Amino acid sequence: MSKSASIAALRELIEQRFPDATPTTQRLSEHLATGMEALDRALPHGGFPRGQLSVWAPQGGCTAILRAACHATVARGERAAWIDGDSTVAGAFWTEGPLLVRPTSRLHALRATEELLRSGGFALLVLAGTHPEGTESVRLTRAAREGGTALVSITTSASVASLRLTSRLLDYRWRHTPFGEPALAHQVTARVQARAVGWSAHADLSFPVTHHELRLSLDTALVDRRGSPRRPH
Amino acid sequence: MAAPRVHVAEFGRVWADARGLHGATLAEELVRIVTPWGFDDVRAGAASTWVAAQLAATQSRVPGVAITVPPGEDRRYIAPFPIAALEPPPDLALLLAGLGIEKCGALADLDAESIEVRLGLEGVRLWERARAEERRWLFRAPVRDLPSASLEWVEYGLKDPERLLFVINSLAGTLCRALSSRGERAREVSIIFSLGNRSQRTHLLRSSRPSAEQKRWVRLAREALDSITLPDAVSGVSLRVESVTGNDGAQGDLFDRGFASAPAVEDALTQLTDDQGDVVVRPRNSEHPLIEARTTWQADERMPRTIVAGSRGGISAGPVGPSVAALPRDDNEKAADVSIPQLRLQLLPTPRVVTVATEERRDHQIPIRYMDQNEWHELVDVAGPDRVRGGEWNAPYARDYFRCVRDDGTMVWLFRGESQGTDWFLQGWWD
Repeated sequence: MSKSASIAALRELIEQRFPDATPTTQRLSEHLATGMEALDRALPHGGFPRGQLSVWAPQGGCTAILRAACHATVARGERAAWIDGDSTVAGAFWTEGPLLVRPTSRLHALRATEELLRSGGFALLVLAGTHPEGTESVRLTRAAREGGTALVSITTSASVASLRLTSRLLDYRWRHTPFGEPALAHQVTARVQARAVGWSAHADLSFPVTHHELRLSLDTALVDRRGSPRRPH
Repeated sequence: MAAPRVHVAEFGRVWADARGLHGATLAEELVRIVTPWGFDDVRAGAASTWVAAQLAATQSRVPGVAITVPPGEDRRYIAPFPIAALEPPPDLALLLAGLGIEKCGALADLDAESIEVRLGLEGVRLWERARAEERRWLFRAPVRDLPSASLEWVEYGLKDPERLLFVINSLAGTLCRALSSRGERAREVSIIFSLGNRSQRTHLLRSSRPSAEQKRWVRLAREALDSITLPDAVSGVSLRVESVTGNDGAQGDLFDRGFASAPAVEDALTQLTDDQGDVVVRPRNSEHPLIEARTTWQADERMPRTIVAGSRGGISAGPVGPSVAALPRDDNEKAADVSIPQLRLQLLPTPRVVTVATEERRDHQIPIRYMDQNEWHELVDVAGPDRVRGGEWNAPYARDYFRCVRDDGTMVWLFRGESQGTDWFLQGWWD
């Protein structure tokens, strides 16, 4: 048997015996499309791997992209859940669709994640604001494998992740004031870098910036008391 | 033949509950039944409101005849009667006479605010009667019997929790079968322990999600038994359902990819809610000027099936979760929009104090860099200030907000809180 044939046979044997140890790029496991073509092209097999852990470094537009992926999952008729571990989701900006879980502590966030993963009823689960470490990551990865869920953790700790993503907001498009100063950012471009064993690709995504309705006072001396109770006498 | 509920009241009046029955026929029937008992001056009235029915009966001049007020005509029927027909308190009657209000219609035409200011609570109640709007029900909906199960023994007393649980398991089975047959799920169940010292102890079990599952109630009972201390041996146990809900949204969709796993998700959510409380939430937003005060989080009690929004022509089942196709046009567009990423504000649970270096721009100061958690961040673009002033009289607030882009591309939201000194705070960031 030639050397290359031996290596191929050995690789096949390893893949059979230890299917989870093979790189995502070589696996035939199902993948979950994000619904964004440019991003899906940058991900191995066109989406997040189901039954495995992917990590995305915080900020750089990852929340926006992952929320959109959750909504795309729900729109396809599957379930998605968002674990808001640090309670940073602003209610005014939450759109109904994925299940939102707001645990009260880090431990509760991890437990909730494991519980939902093991149920097997979720296609995509995003763990935000809680950074699983060491054995916690291993345990969540096992739960994700059991439930067949694509687990994405927003964290910098990527020890057992099969897919690692980073993103950076490159430039904003602004509306300007009559004085030429920035007034409102309305569009932003983000670069997403995806890395796995044997895989490195990036995608540039452009998307809108959403602002909420501010009730403004035009002058520092004017107090807006609309809706306030009358002054007690 | 239906038997209405009947109430014999003062002043020789008899009330009959005609809900679900034909009012006019019932009134005539009552007159026909009562007359042979020696009552020659029987009059009857039937109406949608009690006040119109009473006037129809008491103001009728022809004995032995039932007057029926057509549905929706109550206020018009009442209008020509004098105020006295509504039986106002004497002082109020005098006051109204002094104001020149003689007919019910004249009183009903006045607005609520002027009635409240001038005539007080009694006046408002009379005004509501004149408008046939008083929501008083003579007959309340009958209280339904809820399932219960009990077992008693006299020859011995139980002190072993496992044996108690064995009994509770059996009773819970009876209870849950009764609930299932009624198409209901229990939200609260009481366990009543009859003790050897002839006293009773009641413990309320509350499920985070309504359930008719025996396993679930037994599990809750087991957890309760771990924390209950009973002063004597138990000689009887009763389980009583205290509140129920219907099986809303039980109809599922076989083509829904989430349908098969719905029970497993339901179990997981139930377990999660039992362990951690109402952590599965949805926001309820107000128009409060401060964004951190706009949201209250409510328990999300959607059934798992309804969490899935169907994409095949709105087949998705359930009363709460709107499917994409079931939404009105604007919402459909929104549903399409949510699949496109949008950089949205993330809020810190409480604004964090930061150190800010500023420079002058026209007539105000803008931040140019800030230090957060011992790290300086340069700001390359700054928009603002957006001035928010408001609050209640005793707790006013004034904030100047700035949307700033850091050199690493992150857009942050800083504000200077004048009412909290002149400190700078980091409220959140866009991500």
